[in-house]
Amino acid sequence: MKIKTTLISLTAAAAMATPAFAEYPERAIELTIPAGAGGGTDTSARKLAILLEEALGQSIAVLNVGGGGGSVGASQFMQAKPDGYSLFATWNSPLTTVPQLQNVAYTLDSFTPIASTSETAYTLCVDADFPAETGEEFLAELAANPDKYTYGNDGIGGTMQLAAERIFQAREISAIAIPFGGAGETLQNFLGGHVDIYGGSISTVLPYVETGKAKCLLVTSAADVPALEQASGLAAVGMPENETLLWRAILGPQGMDPEIVEMLGAIIETAVNDPSYVKFLATKGEVPNVVLGANLGARLQAEFDALAAVSASLGLGQ
Amino acid sequence: MEFYTQALSNVLTFWPLIAMIGSTLLGVFIGALPGLNPVMAIALLLPLTYSMDPLVALGMVAGIYNGSMYGGAIPAILLRIPGTPASIATTFDGFPMADKGEASKALKIACWSSAVGGIVSAIALMTMGPLLARVTLFFGPAEYFWIAIFGMASVGVMVGSDPIKGIMAAVIGLLIGTMGIDSLSGQARFTFGQTWLLGGLDLIVVLVGLYALPPVLQLAEKCDLKGLSAAQLKLTNTPFNKGEIRGLIPTWIRSSGIGIGVGILPGAGGNIAAFLSYNAAKNASDDPDSFGKGNPQGVAAAECGNNADNAASMIPALALGIPGNVVAALVLSALTIHGLQPGPQLFHQNPTLVGGFMMEMLITSLLILLLGGAVATRVFAQFQRLPGVLLVPSILTLMCVGVYVINGRPVDLWVMLLAGVAGYFLEKVNVPLAPIILGMILGPMAEQSVRRALLISRGDATELLTRPISATLAVATVLVVAWPLIKAVRRKRAIATKSD
Repeated sequence: MKIKTTLISLTAAAAMATPAFAEYPERAIELTIPAGAGGGTDTSARKLAILLEEALGQSIAVLNVGGGGGSVGASQFMQAKPDGYSLFATWNSPLTTVPQLQNVAYTLDSFTPIASTSETAYTLCVDADFPAETGEEFLAELAANPDKYTYGNDGIGGTMQLAAERIFQAREISAIAIPFGGAGETLQNFLGGHVDIYGGSISTVLPYVETGKAKCLLVTSAADVPALEQASGLAAVGMPENETLLWRAILGPQGMDPEIVEMLGAIIETAVNDPSYVKFLATKGEVPNVVLGANLGARLQAEFDALAAVSASLGLGQ
Repeated sequence: MEFYTQALSNVLTFWPLIAMIGSTLLGVFIGALPGLNPVMAIALLLPLTYSMDPLVALGMVAGIYNGSMYGGAIPAILLRIPGTPASIATTFDGFPMADKGEASKALKIACWSSAVGGIVSAIALMTMGPLLARVTLFFGPAEYFWIAIFGMASVGVMVGSDPIKGIMAAVIGLLIGTMGIDSLSGQARFTFGQTWLLGGLDLIVVLVGLYALPPVLQLAEKCDLKGLSAAQLKLTNTPFNKGEIRGLIPTWIRSSGIGIGVGILPGAGGNIAAFLSYNAAKNASDDPDSFGKGNPQGVAAAECGNNADNAASMIPALALGIPGNVVAALVLSALTIHGLQPGPQLFHQNPTLVGGFMMEMLITSLLILLLGGAVATRVFAQFQRLPGVLLVPSILTLMCVGVYVINGRPVDLWVMLLAGVAGYFLEKVNVPLAPIILGMILGPMAEQSVRRALLISRGDATELLTRPISATLAVATVLVVAWPLIKAVRRKRAIATKSD
């Protein structure tokens, strides 16, 4: 329903704004990143911005607006003019996870989806002597021992925790969530034996999979992840519908000219698949994944609805 | 070890050397300007170096990081404005020294102490990195809780003449620290329905307001139209007196040790290292009352402690793949861009590159001694000669620019103004400001850690005391509170026996 309204408003905007397209872009574009300088979203957006500058022939000014798990930047950006000169490079959490917990000023309709850029799964790992060797055995061990195991995650109500809880709820598992400030902190506590299960990004824990210290048994994507041989994708344990990923996208404010959206989508798709960018993504354990326009809107809505259900049953949220 | 020779010859080539010299100067400059911070500079410059030799990029990071830690001391000493959060403790004795006409001496001590801290820390990184990284892992939430409590106990000791006012200030800091989304329950606290408060108040924004605005207002009060002549500035080269360096050595050893200890704990930081070092120097001194009144040992302890934190903070990042702060995270991303994987195998993957970066941490610390003493200090100190009518608006402009670019939102400027006006009046009624900042840093650390520890122990509070490191830290906390008392009693007894 919401997507339909967006589409109608897009068509309306298109009818009025066509002439502007001929010259676009004729000046610098401002790219808002809802996170401080130096983080994962920031570095991948800045790297992409360099490629987009070449393709568009205009410079891109990056503006970091951190705080509130991305909601501060998103709230500020939604007020920008939909003229194509204000773009928003974000990861999925500010749009689909944060609104479950916080009373934010925006909805998915406040933005025009342009293109997703890359994605990666989260993983659940245990110590080498944990009594399970496969994803299925891991889930069985957790189900058989309610509240025995602690798992570290990226923060309360964060996408990582919701990704894990989606799986746990489907299997009636109860494990104790210990929220940390990020994957590095979770890794520190996992390696020190302070928590039983590492929950977080793949690239952070990967070195310890290679040394045999960590045994990663499950990933939150439907498909298996080649880098983690021992881990099962959710399809392999019979629940591909519970997939939750970390992914990044570029959006505009509500009501952008569809022709500009389409043009930007095509340029972003080319830039993301540029070999140098693919190589860059690989160092962070991410792969390119481009979903354009209305399909991206549908993806956001589906994820939003699924996470709303999980957080409601966890007693989180408003 | 022989790969260090190889690494050294790679580092001592034209471009890495240029990068180190240029960035150390840039770092001193960034550190010296309140509001501008090294994290921002590194984050902005690093993407430009992706295509260059990694040793150039890493040399730049090392230079900015080490240079800025020293640079923060310059305005701290000359104007009582800490250039970075880690140089708050430097203002305690640095500014009184400058007030007594010993600005040049204070800057020199800061420069030497920064270099010594950086060098010792870099050597620890090179020789004991993997070993110290193992120590890091012993510290779980229960231990972090005690570190925070230990830090707060130290504040209690440094509140000065009026403990009640010091405690009041710490409570203000603790309250500010509770603002924003609670990271363990997801509930918003004290946000008054404002989205921009969800992330809490930004430490640097409050710090710049609280610490930079009151001295600026005091400068304005003086209504100084003329400025100082070169002679009045007294920046002539004041050589160390005989035995002066030897007197600083115990403080350097102690502060380097503390800085390294804090550095290997991800999430702690240079400001905690500087405060603890300052406090340790005060406790060890025969004349603790002279601290805060221009004791050179105070400057040496704070500056040595915060620079010793730097290279040590790279230990968990390089050896474990766990970045303890944003600079370490940026170094890790620079390494991965060049195809390296941080973590246990990093040293085996490319020992010359990793060794080269450690060398660069060492060399840039040495450069502080050369550039800081000879060039930077003299140039920056000239700003103090500007008449108040120019100095006041210049500093205000810099503060606003620096604060605005942190989050790119105008509301931070209001927060800074509010914090500054509050700080101005708090100083007028002799409420110390340092405990506010420490409360803001340590309060959330203590709260989150103790709640995490209790989640893990399923609510069993005895876990906080039964683990060996937590128990040790708990005892140390009691000692640090009792120590000044014990000393005072001892001194009284000594006097009593003498007069007998």
